Amino acid sequence: MADILSLTDITKRYGSFEAVKDLSFSVGRGSIVGFLGPNGAGKTSTIRMILGLAAPTSGRIEVLGADDGRKVRDRIGFLPEERGLYRKMNPVDAVAYMAALKGVPVSEGRRRARELLEAQGLGDALKRPMKALSKGMAQKVQLVSAIAHRPELVILDEPFSGLDPVNQQGLERMIRDLADQGSTVLFSTHVMQHAERLCQKVVLMARGQKVFEGPVAEARAAAPRFLLLEGTLDRAAVQALPGVTDVEPAGDGFRARLATGAQPQAALKAAFERGLDVSRFEAPEPSLHDAFIVLTGDDQ
Amino acid sequence: MRRLLLIARREYLAYVRTVGFWLSLIALPLVAVGSGFFVALMENSGEAREMAVLDLTGQAVGPAFARSLDDPGDIDVVAPPPELAGASDIDGADNVARGLVGEDGPLDAVVILTPGDGAVAARYWAARASDQDGEQAVSGALSELNRTQALVALGVDPATIDRIDQAEPAVTMLSPASASGGEVSLQDRLPGLIGFMVAMMLWSLILTGASILLNSVMEEKANRVLEVLLSSASATELLAGKILGVALVTLTVLLVWGGFGAAALSFAAHQGGDFAPALSGALAGLARDGLWLWLVGYFVGGYLMYAAVFAAIGSFCETPREAQTLIGPIMMVLIIPVFVLQFAMRDPDLAIVKTLSWVPFFTPFLMSARAPSGPPLYEMTGTLAVMVAFTVLIVWLAAKAFRAGALSTGKLDWRGIIGLVRGEGR
Repeated sequence: MADILSLTDITKRYGSFEAVKDLSFSVGRGSIVGFLGPNGAGKTSTIRMILGLAAPTSGRIEVLGADDGRKVRDRIGFLPEERGLYRKMNPVDAVAYMAALKGVPVSEGRRRARELLEAQGLGDALKRPMKALSKGMAQKVQLVSAIAHRPELVILDEPFSGLDPVNQQGLERMIRDLADQGSTVLFSTHVMQHAERLCQKVVLMARGQKVFEGPVAEARAAAPRFLLLEGTLDRAAVQALPGVTDVEPAGDGFRARLATGAQPQAALKAAFERGLDVSRFEAPEPSLHDAFIVLTGDDQ
Repeated sequence: MRRLLLIARREYLAYVRTVGFWLSLIALPLVAVGSGFFVALMENSGEAREMAVLDLTGQAVGPAFARSLDDPGDIDVVAPPPELAGASDIDGADNVARGLVGEDGPLDAVVILTPGDGAVAARYWAARASDQDGEQAVSGALSELNRTQALVALGVDPATIDRIDQAEPAVTMLSPASASGGEVSLQDRLPGLIGFMVAMMLWSLILTGASILLNSVMEEKANRVLEVLLSSASATELLAGKILGVALVTLTVLLVWGGFGAAALSFAAHQGGDFAPALSGALAGLARDGLWLWLVGYFVGGYLMYAAVFAAIGSFCETPREAQTLIGPIMMVLIIPVFVLQFAMRDPDLAIVKTLSWVPFFTPFLMSARAPSGPPLYEMTGTLAVMVAFTVLIVWLAAKAFRAGALSTGKLDWRGIIGLVRGEGR
């Protein structure tokens, strides 16, 4: 998969504060990549550098074959974290205007705006001013305005924030549709479930530095595994199982943390051999959230 | 350029579609026509005062005094009622006059001419104690009567006095710098007035246009639109598009007002007199030596310079209060040319005026007023070049500040701006 975006040793300083440190990662064409990290991790600064809105202090960015996002701005769609459109404009005019700035003729922009807004269930709001729309509706309009010019690369900064669960689901569908149509999507979020469901690849940031880049499954592997044991059990007996490093009560039983590389089957086998009264045994796959906590160091 | 024009178009339409725009568009012509109509109505609605004159001087000066009084036209001298005509002394005449101008009395005023100390005096009885116009008319007529009587007493023929009164001083002003090379006419003075008007028009354009720009940028920043716009267009395109859009809004207003003005001038020209030839002469004066081109250059350059400054300030503010603190110093700078313009009109070559003309913030105003008087070419080109260079610098700085302000969430930060100017941002 050819890279559509690559960052090499990017550093961004604001005075003495280093917002991004030696960041390198790449995004393949047609993929959905999650750009994850807690608040203040440097995600927005990085996105601004990709777009060319801010210059890196050092390092190199290549986006859509250009060394500056501004040179290819017509091929990029962007949804900023802080959203807003002209309050007195109606959705069709707002989308058509943003598309026109990206080179789409106004009449074609209007046609696309109607089509996309109707597909998002906003057919009744086409002529209403933006200030009369609900937050969720306005956010959909803004998203439509970011993609109406059919960009090759779509960058979404915290697109799920402020949306209710139904609208979040709709947005996930929209992102998948974009990828199906050939666009590449890079979105930042600090809610792992969306990334888990959507992304082939994630880049994790913490305190301005990359802490992980790779497939979601690989990220999950970085998280510690846990065993859930229920039955008439003694805490010391659970703690004594092979590979168990820590035990804490959970529901009607215990939650046991496994050491890196330890096999759940070995613990289960030992439990039966030792005659422990186990009524339920579960070794769930670690979530991206667990991996995020470990990788970003927030479990320290 | 495509993006710049799109931004300008949106900016223009956003304002042209507001009720406030149409109100401001028609307000001035309506006020002008309305006030003219009101003044005419006031002038025509007033009835002439009915005034009677009683001559107790024994010199039969009553008729001459009444003729002078009648001149203004808003006084109607009537024959004294019999009870007034019958009065033979001042006290008796006062008593009768009081009744005649009192409540329900038939007259508005009564003048009793009495012998004074070497000259005729008057007692003016008026229905209204605040009737100063009547008092002044009586005073003027009496002054003329006494002067004429004094001159006649010295043996001057009354016809000669009349001839002297009618004579007007004949002064012919000549200058080699006039259009004819000799006599100075209205056609020579009108370009100077037009230069002054251009300066004042620029001043009002900056005040109105700048506040529109400031609010527009502030609104976009408060609505979080600027960041999206900056991902679609360069800061320079955004800035220039906004400046052009707002310039078109204000020019539309000026054009409509100019249309009303042209209609009024055309009407005045059709009334005949000296106005039509003077107007065509003034237009010829503007065309001479490309004066109108200089005026357009100062006008456009001045607008661009101030517009860039205001737009940049707007990008750092989210509330009018924040903007107010930054706008204050600029407004103080803008007041200075208004004072200096008066001197520039009277004496365009005054040293202080010439010096201030080189300060870019004042150049467009002062040079617009001075250009019609024909200052040296090096001053015209030099001041324009300095202003253009300064405007380019301001636009460059403003684009930097605009980008920094658009992406910042806080207030104006000088360290941040200095960092940007030194190349830490784009």
